[in-house]
Amino acid sequence: MKISIRDAGAVKIVEIEGDVDLGTSQVLRRTLFETLLIAPKLALNLAAIRYIDSSGIATLIEVLKDSQRRNKEFVLFGLSPAVQQVFHLTHVVRIFQVFQTEEEALGSA
Amino acid sequence: MSLRLKFAMTSDPRYLPVVRGAIGPLAAAIGWDESDCRAITLALDEALANIIRHAYHNRADGFIELECRESADGLEVTMLDNGEAPDRSKICARAIACDQPGGLGTHIIKDVMDTVSYQATAAGNRFVATKRLGKTT
Repeated sequence: MKISIRDAGAVKIVEIEGDVDLGTSQVLRRTLFETLLIAPKLALNLAAIRYIDSSGIATLIEVLKDSQRRNKEFVLFGLSPAVQQVFHLTHVVRIFQVFQTEEEALGSA
Repeated sequence: MSLRLKFAMTSDPRYLPVVRGAIGPLAAAIGWDESDCRAITLALDEALANIIRHAYHNRADGFIELECRESADGLEVTMLDNGEAPDRSKICARAIACDQPGGLGTHIIKDVMDTVSYQATAAGNRFVATKRLGKTT
């Protein structure tokens, strides 16, 4: 799994590439929590994720709850069909703000 | 001759993508479509991850044996381990469709596979799951 972070104004965009599973989700968790501390809004690009398991979904839920506690915004965009299927199976898609494109995600505030 | 795949490995999470890389093509060879292959792969990956996390408490040196076998009507999967026995009261104990981060894996396994059983035997823990061809997730 590769993670990169870039700025779009005040928003931090985190991009993930590869597989998010039990072996990699802790790295993602640490990165997202640290990034959330230094930005009012965090947008996560899931377009290049090949695979995500329940530990990855659990990480996203934890970050979402932390963002709500801190009165910040955490949004997702670019969900591939594979990622959408896992969101569907875990019934969590309704709790996230999910957008198709980066432009839509950035304009959601 | 029916298809059969067997892994004997340690509980190192670096094996997870290796197993995923084999299960999807096996499910496709048996006859499932791409979406079902992804779902079956996810369910079995979750079962393996549960063994690593809960039976071996993230120790990487535990023994796991995984066997996938084409059956008359689909796929039968058996996983064996020598770790701590699963606590049946915690399997699918938490309601899904909520914003709690834990306990999602066992729900995925139950939703995707047609039958799932967890047994503690003298030889260790035994997980058996089946999925019938023709039933979609």
